Amino acid sequence: MKRALRMSYLVAGVAGLGFFAMSVLLLAVWPGRVLEEQVRRMSPGHPLGLTDSEGRGRRIYAREGCAYCHTQQIRYVASDVARFGGATLAWETIFDYPHLWGTRRIGPDLSREGATRSADWQLSHLYSPRSMVQGSVMPAFVWLFDGAPDRPKQEGLDLLAYVETLGRDRALAAPEGESRARAACDCSEDERRFAFGSAVLNASPALARRQGDHPRLAPSGDSTKGQQVYSRDCATCHGTRGEGDGPGAVGLHPHPANLAEHEYTLDRLSFALWNGVAGTGMPAWRDLPLADLAAAAAVVRGFHAPQPEPAIPEAVLAVGAKVYAARCAQCHGENGAGDGYAVSQFAVAPTNFRTQRPSLAVSLRAVRDGIEGTPMAPWSNELSEAELSAVAYYVRGFFEGQ
Amino acid sequence: MTEIAPAAPKVETRLVYAHGLAAIVTLLISVAFGVMASIEMLVPEAGGNLPWLTWGRLRYDHTQGIMLGWLGNAFFAFLYHAVPLLTGRSITSARLGQWIFGLWNFAVVAPGWVLVLAGFSQPLEWAEFPLVIDAFVVLALVLVIVQFLPPFFSRGLEDLYVSSWYIIGGLVFTLLAYPMGNFVPELVPGARGAAFSGLWIHDAIGLFVTPLALAILYFVIPAATRRPIFSHFLSMLGFWLLFFLYPLNGTHHYIFSVIPMSAQMGAIAASTLLGLDVILVVANLLLSMRGAGLFPADIGLRFVATGTVFYLVVSIQGSVQAQMAINRQIHFSDWVIGHSHLAMLGFATFSAAGGLIHAWQRIPWARYSGPMLSLSYWLLLAGVVIMVSDLTVAGLVEGRLWQSAAPWMDSVRAAQPYWVIRTITFVPIAAGFLALLAGLVTGERAGGLRAVGDSVGHEPVAEIAPRLAPADL
Repeated sequence: MKRALRMSYLVAGVAGLGFFAMSVLLLAVWPGRVLEEQVRRMSPGHPLGLTDSEGRGRRIYAREGCAYCHTQQIRYVASDVARFGGATLAWETIFDYPHLWGTRRIGPDLSREGATRSADWQLSHLYSPRSMVQGSVMPAFVWLFDGAPDRPKQEGLDLLAYVETLGRDRALAAPEGESRARAACDCSEDERRFAFGSAVLNASPALARRQGDHPRLAPSGDSTKGQQVYSRDCATCHGTRGEGDGPGAVGLHPHPANLAEHEYTLDRLSFALWNGVAGTGMPAWRDLPLADLAAAAAVVRGFHAPQPEPAIPEAVLAVGAKVYAARCAQCHGENGAGDGYAVSQFAVAPTNFRTQRPSLAVSLRAVRDGIEGTPMAPWSNELSEAELSAVAYYVRGFFEGQ
Repeated sequence: MTEIAPAAPKVETRLVYAHGLAAIVTLLISVAFGVMASIEMLVPEAGGNLPWLTWGRLRYDHTQGIMLGWLGNAFFAFLYHAVPLLTGRSITSARLGQWIFGLWNFAVVAPGWVLVLAGFSQPLEWAEFPLVIDAFVVLALVLVIVQFLPPFFSRGLEDLYVSSWYIIGGLVFTLLAYPMGNFVPELVPGARGAAFSGLWIHDAIGLFVTPLALAILYFVIPAATRRPIFSHFLSMLGFWLLFFLYPLNGTHHYIFSVIPMSAQMGAIAASTLLGLDVILVVANLLLSMRGAGLFPADIGLRFVATGTVFYLVVSIQGSVQAQMAINRQIHFSDWVIGHSHLAMLGFATFSAAGGLIHAWQRIPWARYSGPMLSLSYWLLLAGVVIMVSDLTVAGLVEGRLWQSAAPWMDSVRAAQPYWVIRTITFVPIAAGFLALLAGLVTGERAGGLRAVGDSVGHEPVAEIAPRLAPADL
């Protein structure tokens, strides 16, 4: 009897260990094999992996606990896909030693963060999050910088490099990669819809686009809402009076636009608010209600104080036109619409003078000194003072108003 | 408790005392990490933008400190009290005990904290201490098994009391699960590694914290009420179901992920059944306590009784939130933070504190202040109930906003008032823990023994005293 009892406890002990072994086999080893097979079938030929710098950045991301506020896992549910983009596929994670999926989202998911915002914006945000996003609770990672947002140390550059890789492999493999993976996916209709059904791989509402439709914002009279939206979302960079001197402006090159020194058509603002300004720190604001955007646009237009325009002699304008045709039109277009033949070469689109008119001072400064952080070169070595001011006058004449 | 031997085994009261104090000191430090992290969610610059005070690093140290520092030490203190009484045999070696104490506190917890603050860590939940520390944890766990399990085997495994089963199971399974959670994801990338991580996230609570906390509940309730447990059959049924189901839960942290749906479904089914098992376990425990009142006079028992209720609530909550329809809404939100505080600060902490107080009462030379411990109980109860309710509502608000088209920042702004309340609950919680410390180091010597004698229906001093070997009194 005693011996039998002993045996029963031996059996119990083996069974107990068996439970644990079974859990590992059923929920880790077997799913691992399924995932491995899925990766084999669905991954593109040559996913990039990480460079040394990106790998170091990944370790900084891990060290600072980024994954404890930002998930890297877009779930197979409609709200995740709508907010962030195509649900995470197994092959996207094959370089993650260890994984950074996370179980808490205080900030947004970062699976598709790479290429969503400009490098300047990312660095400024790492250095001083609340200078960029009012109400953010992210820590300021000042120790990755040399005292200014535009002076990152190697660690800051590494972390930026890593963030830029998020979603990169899948974006690079598209569209062939998407259709191949979709065909090879051994998944349910729901899973297929969430993984591949998103109109865009990166659904971030902040992702800036060079081209794209935009809603026509109606003129808004709701100045209370306008002030509220502007001071919450715009003043961080453009400053409370629109002078481009908000706390977030320091590290952005080009600097945020001085809204008081420009006159914008409503359509121009609609485009910029909806699509951002590609190549600059200006993100898109597609997640704000249209009424908020319209109210903010009204505030922006209100910064410009209309002044009587001086009459410019015909002779000066003729000089301006000549200089413009020779020096400016290849980028800014013959009619000032920012559509010259060289446009596609540049990360930042040349100014369309038909929809935005700089003040004379800004126009002169730009043509003389160029605009830092953009392809706009300084012309003071090439043109005489008279030519500089003539062309500065001339471009202001393209503006169509409204 | 038929297996308590008539011969008086030696309880190493000094090791109970040392681990007990270490538990509370590490607890207070872990709470400091937690409250600092919570303040930084209100005033992000509160840490002076110093790297070692940044939110992420504090967050890592908070949970590792609670699990390894506070609960680890408190469990060991309880084991030094309970194992000799359960087996009628002494633990392997007091000398080994000193080594375990030193290793656990000075090769694991303290250096682990420092290394995390200095930037050496791994970004894996409940596994944040760096690999070098993990090696010492595994070594210490092996020594803990050498320390506590031989008495069970030399006594013979016949008619083991359920606490003994939980102790054996908890220690063995922790040793198995720890390396899986801490080492494997470093070697197996991405989604495949996450499958292992998911298991460990639940094994840390299910195979380390829960079995040892249940060992305390099953030990303290009959010891303090002087009545046998309601049903040994239910005890054993609960035990085996728990050890069958707990390890199968882990994947429920990654519902709607790319991990195969059948594994997710299996984990959801196991999570559901686990809630049913816990109803069974808790029913057995509560029936064993009938007559002791909702807030028993014996303070150790009072903590344990409340821990039992928290166990029921947190487990039912766990079953509910694993369901897809619920998980879709509340996953990633503060609801889950509330859940983990209900588990660790509610269930585990109340159980561990109850076990510690129970053991402390029976150290003849230890100081003991009943009023302080009673104060501690009420402060902690208030703190945990407010905090968990607050975070649960916050999670619902966040989840709702995430389902809508609202900008992301709306959810952060909406959560702020809840985060303020969460930080304020630091006051009763920290005060409660200070009162716990005061209850164990102020008051009269042997006050605990007298308190036990005072409590109606409890073990008289004369009966328990001979079983405890006074250290140097």
